[in-house]
Amino acid sequence: MIRLFFVAALSSIALWGLAALSALPLSQWASPFANPATLLPEQIFFAFGLMPRAGIALLIGGLLGLSGALMQAVLRNPLADPTTLGVASGAQLALVGATLLWPEALALGRGPVALFGGAVTAGLVMALGARRGFAPVTVTICGMLVGMLASAISTALTLGQGHYLLSLVIWNGGALSQDSWHGVFRLMATLVLGGVAAALLARPLVVLSLGGATAKALGAQVGLTRFAALSLAVILSGMVSAEVGLVGFVGLAAPALVRRLGARSVTQVLLWSPLAGALLLSVSDSALMALAALGGPEMPTGALTGLIGGPVLIALLPKLRNIVPPETERSDLIAPRATHPWKRVAAIVCVTLILTALSLLGGRGPDGWGIISGDIAATFLPLRATAILAAASAGALLALSGAVLQRLTANPMAAPEVLGVTGGAALGYAATLFLFSVPSPFTLAFGSSTGAAVTLIILSAYAMRSDMAPARLLLAGLAVGAFASALLAAVMASGDPRAWSLLGWLAGSASRASVSGALALSVMAVVGLGASLLVSRWFDILPLGAGVARGVGLPLGRVRLGLVLGAGLATGAASVLVGPVSFIGLMAPHIARSLGLVRPASFLAASWCLGVLLMTVAAFGARTASYPYDLPLGLFATLIGAPWLFVALLGRRHS
Amino acid sequence: MASRAGAANLLVDRASPRIAAIDWAPPRIAAIDWAMAETAMALGLPLAALAEKRQFVRGAAITLPDACADLGLRGAPNLEALSLVSPDLILSSNFYSFVEPQLERIAPVYTRSLFVAGEPALPKVLLAMEALADHLDLRAQGQETRAHFETEFDHLAERVSAFADRPFVLMTVGDARHIQVFGADSIYGGALARIGLTNAWAGGTEFGFNAPVPVSKLLAFPDAHLVLVGDVPQNAQRAIRQGALWSALAPVRAGRLLSLSDNNPFGGAPSALRFADHLVTALERA
Repeated sequence: MIRLFFVAALSSIALWGLAALSALPLSQWASPFANPATLLPEQIFFAFGLMPRAGIALLIGGLLGLSGALMQAVLRNPLADPTTLGVASGAQLALVGATLLWPEALALGRGPVALFGGAVTAGLVMALGARRGFAPVTVTICGMLVGMLASAISTALTLGQGHYLLSLVIWNGGALSQDSWHGVFRLMATLVLGGVAAALLARPLVVLSLGGATAKALGAQVGLTRFAALSLAVILSGMVSAEVGLVGFVGLAAPALVRRLGARSVTQVLLWSPLAGALLLSVSDSALMALAALGGPEMPTGALTGLIGGPVLIALLPKLRNIVPPETERSDLIAPRATHPWKRVAAIVCVTLILTALSLLGGRGPDGWGIISGDIAATFLPLRATAILAAASAGALLALSGAVLQRLTANPMAAPEVLGVTGGAALGYAATLFLFSVPSPFTLAFGSSTGAAVTLIILSAYAMRSDMAPARLLLAGLAVGAFASALLAAVMASGDPRAWSLLGWLAGSASRASVSGALALSVMAVVGLGASLLVSRWFDILPLGAGVARGVGLPLGRVRLGLVLGAGLATGAASVLVGPVSFIGLMAPHIARSLGLVRPASFLAASWCLGVLLMTVAAFGARTASYPYDLPLGLFATLIGAPWLFVALLGRRHS
Repeated sequence: MASRAGAANLLVDRASPRIAAIDWAPPRIAAIDWAMAETAMALGLPLAALAEKRQFVRGAAITLPDACADLGLRGAPNLEALSLVSPDLILSSNFYSFVEPQLERIAPVYTRSLFVAGEPALPKVLLAMEALADHLDLRAQGQETRAHFETEFDHLAERVSAFADRPFVLMTVGDARHIQVFGADSIYGGALARIGLTNAWAGGTEFGFNAPVPVSKLLAFPDAHLVLVGDVPQNAQRAIRQGALWSALAPVRAGRLLSLSDNNPFGGAPSALRFADHLVTALERA
């Protein structure tokens, strides 16, 4: 391990030196302690720009590595990192809100605002997690839900006010450039204090790593230790967010890397992760600086860590031990089976129909709320009906592929958005935009479907090796998702006019749908439901494992491939019209299951219908909430679904 | 001051009398693109609806009619609101070609390619005035408006002839360490060239959603005038006044730092003219 770290450090120094030499010859390198009045402008930029930047990259990498290692130790979950706990998104929301609504709050700098936002979201996640004794899977789901909520609200706020918040774009990119040593001093103090606190927590965390029950039996303060370690991790990553913005994946990659390199115990991981994180970020940042110095594009460092983080993690995956202990999901109770499942499905259908009719006829216009009047209905209704049909079909398709994926992987967290499939769809969409000068809607649909299917196939190829172990699949999905968003960020950063088209698409508006597009989607949704009902028997067998499935004569490889391809196509087609909306694919099957619909046929039908219901309501909210500004569908799907999911995840244990 | 008021008045006064004189009902025009919106208004055609009106009124060089409806986001215009306006013509640009199929369901769309990376934008924006006028059978009006703008630019060029050999860098400040720079393919860069000044930034415009430019790039222009366009964020204001990097820049040390309030880089000829007018006034005052 040490030799590898040494090589990394050397290459980082070499790359930084290359960038520095191209800015200033060696003979002129200046000390930051020199009197600025005696320095040339170039020397000032060297001493107060380039030099602190090298320091800040190391410090931020170290802080994120430590933060990620702490989170993973506490949650006993190799997927935990500041992003999955919602800390980064919370900080982002606070900054967006402050910039738009209360700019004076930023007079003291972004620090306090970002820290406040990160702390609020983390507090919310922990309050929710506390109800389950911080059970790892629950905390991760809660963190992701809260994070997605926060970023959806940020997006809506930004869109409703125009998109020219350059300072926020920069912050989102995670640019490490510096203009003084203040940031280095602040983060150095944070790292020292955080390191001491982590050292104090190391022993209790070792005890905790034996498992909650064992630790309790040994007399450990399980709840207190977890709370303290998580708080520390949140503060560390919050300080990073405040200082430079969103730098993803380092907190996830660093502990994974040192574990792969042989660190076994909690103490070893805690010790080596900060170093690995520091070197990882330092190499990336120096490489970017050298690239820019050689005439390449200026790229924000946060975007690059996403790009390198994804492939690195996927490469590590097959060798990762399955670290999530099986007991951690045990606390997720299964709802009692419904005695008359089809009655419940019929009730869902009725509610869906009523709400759809209401949202078609009612709404908001320039004169306020009301039911559509006769004289304008002729121009109005076709427009609105198209949008509703498109949204409802997209919801059905996403929910169906979520249901299929959850059954296929026997993993309740599998969903198109969690598995990075929507990320793949987004990449396919972007690629189509750049490959064809004037792509038709169908070309775009094909492109994003291809992207989604390719992502799923790649993911499955890796996951199949161990019969789709949930942790592995999720980690691969996270990696693909981060890779996709990093690439999209780079596309957005290119300043190409097509980035506008991409931005409009990412915002996801149902009114974008053409009549033929909406009809095609609805046909797909109906065909998909019919097909999945025809093979519903498979879904009884698949969760029982590969052995059983082969035993009853299921051609396992082809079945899996077919289902994966179908889910990919459905996701891609849905997302081309309404954007990479999140949550419906995760939420609808969850709700169906918690209504006691366990048998495949009723589960699939109910998920499909709930997808329609959720998306129709979401489309209504998106259309009316800040009329005439159409807001992203994903925001409203999230606003409606997330509270429901919290209740479903947390409430039942006590009832 | 007088000159600024003069330019602004001319823009507004041109509109109404002409329309009344011809006794001709103007078409109901809705605009998605802001540059096209300003183009129509410069021709004296009142807008019935405009996308992102809320944001537009903060930075626009023209005053919208009270009755003008808001159409929501430019990237996702509200089709229901648009259909309620029942427009005769919808103005769009290459930025929004992806929504045009939906707009066509409501009314004919007139679209022009205005902002293309690497291609000068101002000539296209000026040409769009004549082209739109032609499209609406108002050829004379289009030529006259175009001529008026050209004359105004010529006047401004005369006033700044003393600065003709000085390089300028036009930028928007993102945060303390990052800027966006306007090149020849922006209307601001175009206006600068049109009044005979030199844009020191040879590259393309770095605006929109692009990677922001680090402040260190400004080291290459020690002789330039630095022109900050638009609002400067709170924390950046402090950095520009006191920060080590900004204070190290030769133009800042020499006091060649101008700040203009213009805030519509995607506007049309009126925004370009107003920017040029602000710049000339600021230079004369300095």
